[in-house]
Amino acid sequence: MAETDKFAVQPHADATSQQQAHSLEHWRSHTGRNDIITGLRAMHVWLALGWHDIRQRYRRSVLGPFWFTLTTLVMVGVLGFMYSELLGQEISDYLPYLGIGMVVWQFISTAANEGCNAMIGAGSTIKQIRMPLTTHVCRMVWRNLVILLHSLPVVVLLMVFFGHSLTLEFLLLVPGLLILMLNAVWSGIVFGILCARYRDVMPIIGNLFQVGFFLTPVMWRASDLKERAWIADINPFNHLIEIIRAPILGTPIMLEPWLWSLALIFLGFAAAHYLMVRFRERVAYWL
Amino acid sequence: MTVHIQAEKLCVEFPIYENSHRSLKNTVMHLSTGGRIGMNANQHPVVRALNEIDFEIREGDRVGLVGHNGSGKTTLLRVLSGVYAPVRGRLSMSGRVASLLDVSMGMDPDATGFENIYLRGIMDGLLPAIIRAKTDEIADFTGLGDYLNLPVRTYSSGMLLRLAFAISTSVEADILVMDEWLSVGDAEFSEKAQSRLDVLVSKAAILVIASHDPKLIAKVCNRRIHLEHGVILSDEKLDPVASDAAATA
Repeated sequence: MAETDKFAVQPHADATSQQQAHSLEHWRSHTGRNDIITGLRAMHVWLALGWHDIRQRYRRSVLGPFWFTLTTLVMVGVLGFMYSELLGQEISDYLPYLGIGMVVWQFISTAANEGCNAMIGAGSTIKQIRMPLTTHVCRMVWRNLVILLHSLPVVVLLMVFFGHSLTLEFLLLVPGLLILMLNAVWSGIVFGILCARYRDVMPIIGNLFQVGFFLTPVMWRASDLKERAWIADINPFNHLIEIIRAPILGTPIMLEPWLWSLALIFLGFAAAHYLMVRFRERVAYWL
Repeated sequence: MTVHIQAEKLCVEFPIYENSHRSLKNTVMHLSTGGRIGMNANQHPVVRALNEIDFEIREGDRVGLVGHNGSGKTTLLRVLSGVYAPVRGRLSMSGRVASLLDVSMGMDPDATGFENIYLRGIMDGLLPAIIRAKTDEIADFTGLGDYLNLPVRTYSSGMLLRLAFAISTSVEADILVMDEWLSVGDAEFSEKAQSRLDVLVSKAAILVIASHDPKLIAKVCNRRIHLEHGVILSDEKLDPVASDAAATA
């Protein structure tokens, strides 16, 4: 029997009109089929929850989330100083390149690792009230985007400091970040559900992303690969970083990274939707 | 459509994943070797909490769930509140459900009282405007005053309960699901709390409450379902006259 049949919750006829005024549509009555859309649409919920997480983490800290800003500054400064020499690059070019790559990579890998924990971490809530599981994932993604937005401006400032100027392409940063975020959402759903069922997936993902860092042009450039440039060409992380890096650096905008990133969204959400339809109602049993 | 709950052959089973079962290893081995190991790998021990139960609850029903520990009462309440979906069988419900299973659910000790009111509200799917409108009423009811601006970890356990109670009873529901009758606070607050709860219960079209207290069941319920080992042993109407007598006795 289909999942929807087993768990048919129709809002009370009289209540429907009231409910629309008081609470979100489908918030409780959603199924695996509309979990993702219901969760994504409830923006004010995950915005508030994610923001709350950030405030919570830094409630008694003087610098608060600006610790990320400082950490980025120190990391990029030191590594840029060292590796520009090691790789024989001009520091004024290399430092912004490295900085953007590192900040975006940090987002990708943290979102993936926390995505593994998205359902397990929200376990006590999932076992108490019914709300779209996607909310827990969006909360995590938004939290990490806030962190990203605390680090990225430093790199842009460093770039300006080294005498580069921003181009009109900089505006592409907005769709770029949106694409990055959506990719984090589907991967959070997929990893979150898989990790709830199979606890070994988490270390596997952790290891993959550790290795991924070295395979992705963050500290080095794709052009350094020469004959093995295909390693960067087929690396989705490279494309995801590129859609953020190119607009900021003002390097020529290629179509390829954007197509890759969009294709990833479609494939990823298809997988996430499939898992939701099949396993939405099982997740509570696995926690 | 009227408010009602109907269950047909409702089954809830909890799979027990031991360490060896929970990993990918066995699934992978299952794929590669098939045969005997595969059979073992996929057969997790299962706890059947609810076993093919049928019931129908209509508007006006005040159902008391009774049974020993582990008889499936809480599981049934969680199924009704939408946390666990039936593994087999069918459950259909119409009406807005509110569950008071764990009142201090989702309380963040480091957040202030007001923040907790808001966070709980959005997790219940309420629109921000509605939560804001309710906040004053909740704050008033707790009687905590300026304490609501402090992190709740600074509260005494009694104060924490007051806040949790006020938040979770600020709902409007057609179907109210409760695990034991709530009672909180000192004598004065307790009285206030009882009348608030009475109002909430009287507004709901259906009440389902699990309790170990026969007097309470006799007082608030007009129907008693006895669960044991996940099956319904008896489902009987309670005579209101008899229950009045029992309540005064």
